[in-house]
Amino acid sequence: MKPNNKIRRLTQRLLAVATLVCCLAARGVAQTYNGMHKYDGTHPNVLTSYMMVGDNIITNRYFGIAASYTRHLTDRWHVGGDMQVQMGKQLYSVDVQGGYRLPVKWMDFYLDGKVLYNRYQRWGTNEIMINLALTWETPYFFFRIGETYIHYNMLGFGYTEPLTLTIGTGVNIRPRWDSWNIGLFIRNYDDFYYEAYNINWGANFWANLKKDVQLFGEVNLRPAGSLSQLATEYEKSLKLGLRYVW
Amino acid sequence: MFGKLMKKYTICALLAVLTLTACDKVSPAGILIANTDVDDRIKMSRDYYRLHEGELFLMKKAENGEYTFLVGADSHLTNDPGRMREMLQIGIDDDDLFYAHLGDIADTKAEYYIVLDNVILEAKEKYGKKHFKPVTYMDDYDTPHTIYMDTVSQKLYEVKDIPLPFHPVVGNHDITNNGWALWTNMFHSSFYMGYVYVENDGFDYFDRLIFLDSASGTLGEEQIDEIESHFFEADFPYMDKIKIRHTFVFGHTNIFRPSASEFASTFTREETYYLLDKFDHWNTSIVFSGHVHDWDERKVGDITYLTLDTMCEKNRPEPGDYLVRVHVKRDGSLSWKRVRMNYTP
Repeated sequence: MKPNNKIRRLTQRLLAVATLVCCLAARGVAQTYNGMHKYDGTHPNVLTSYMMVGDNIITNRYFGIAASYTRHLTDRWHVGGDMQVQMGKQLYSVDVQGGYRLPVKWMDFYLDGKVLYNRYQRWGTNEIMINLALTWETPYFFFRIGETYIHYNMLGFGYTEPLTLTIGTGVNIRPRWDSWNIGLFIRNYDDFYYEAYNINWGANFWANLKKDVQLFGEVNLRPAGSLSQLATEYEKSLKLGLRYVW
Repeated sequence: MFGKLMKKYTICALLAVLTLTACDKVSPAGILIANTDVDDRIKMSRDYYRLHEGELFLMKKAENGEYTFLVGADSHLTNDPGRMREMLQIGIDDDDLFYAHLGDIADTKAEYYIVLDNVILEAKEKYGKKHFKPVTYMDDYDTPHTIYMDTVSQKLYEVKDIPLPFHPVVGNHDITNNGWALWTNMFHSSFYMGYVYVENDGFDYFDRLIFLDSASGTLGEEQIDEIESHFFEADFPYMDKIKIRHTFVFGHTNIFRPSASEFASTFTREETYYLLDKFDHWNTSIVFSGHVHDWDERKVGDITYLTLDTMCEKNRPEPGDYLVRVHVKRDGSLSWKRVRMNYTP
């Protein structure tokens, strides 16, 4: 069987399981997640973990795991850190981040910063990214804009890219605080990369399994050449994970 | 109220899409899904290569052990072929061994390709007059007809068949709006290689020319597979006795962005690192790219990366140093300089 077919079958199975769990969870379990970094008032700690499978034209099939921890210092301030290991791609990442939430009526505005380190072992490349972004979040919609500093070292030289615009938006079919939801997104970044104008897009979902546990997932298509108007298959991936609050 | 607002936004969006799709340079749907696939182009190019290996191998002999070549980018030819004609004229006048074009040669419209075809035909005739011997004969209708004879190989050429040493790669604007059919009809292959043969003081050297299809902002799976199968490290029967001296890589999409205000897509993160590593592995001397319409010069280890400014008369109506000439000397050292273009529309 061709690798692409295997990935397709695996993706279909995972999606079927996710849909089933999502439907079962739609019975109105209390919320555990109600915004990008919004504190629910009783659980200041958020632990997130997910696994991913994907296929990339350079590195072929890959599998990875990621984990992150967020601590709500107050109703407004949060700090956290994330890490991932992607086997196949030989990509190892770690970051620290923090942000401030400003509620305005029924909306939230977030100012977030992240310092991310990536090690692309296959090419001996060390990459540092620093992102500062402003997000406007409503119950059904978000829009994010920011700038990213990108520096990398490989083959004995270092290069700092000109500042890179970060932009993303997404919608969901139900209010953000509902016990389950499905959404669509389009953006030029992901949890562990910021791209120079290659736009990835896809669909995501979340569903509360218990009062303090949430299942979430995402299908992501990451083309190359978006702003060359020739978006071409470069990578496709699937994430499935759990979020626990206490 | 909400319905009226939605109707207004929908009409605005439709008008925007219609306006953008009417433009020769823009294909808005391609931001999410392209209407052409790099893998298809590589398969076609590979098939063509297998059938015409002799033509595409591009073996060129450098006389006296040294040679120059000329590089231009992003001509975006429409109805005015002034700069394209000037580039070819400069190459012919100054005896460059070959002229490389880094893509976006014409905006995608059949009439622009007819203009381009005429300019290339004109250049072929000039090249034939300079390098070959004209032979005039009377055809069946008693009309004088000129063909050109290569006095070394004794080959005879009609004007359209004169081997003008013009080697383009494909750019994104060449193929948006399904332009691949037009491009491939003229240039056939978007992925090929060649060697310049240099005989010097009793030793044989080969300088390698690599032409990549990076129009889609990625080389794609097929091209990566070919590269990993050592397509560009093809064996000569006597490979162990020759030495690859310089490698020059020609592609459309740039590796390095000259400034933050350029919003053209470059390669994705992994592909950038893959290519930088691969160019190093090939012991590349110079990597040429275009795409962003701005000049950038960068040295990474022993490799020079040159991103060329656009030579398009619409974008750069003033005269300027839009071309690059590389001089490979007898002792194997090389230098490059920017070459001025004077045509103004």
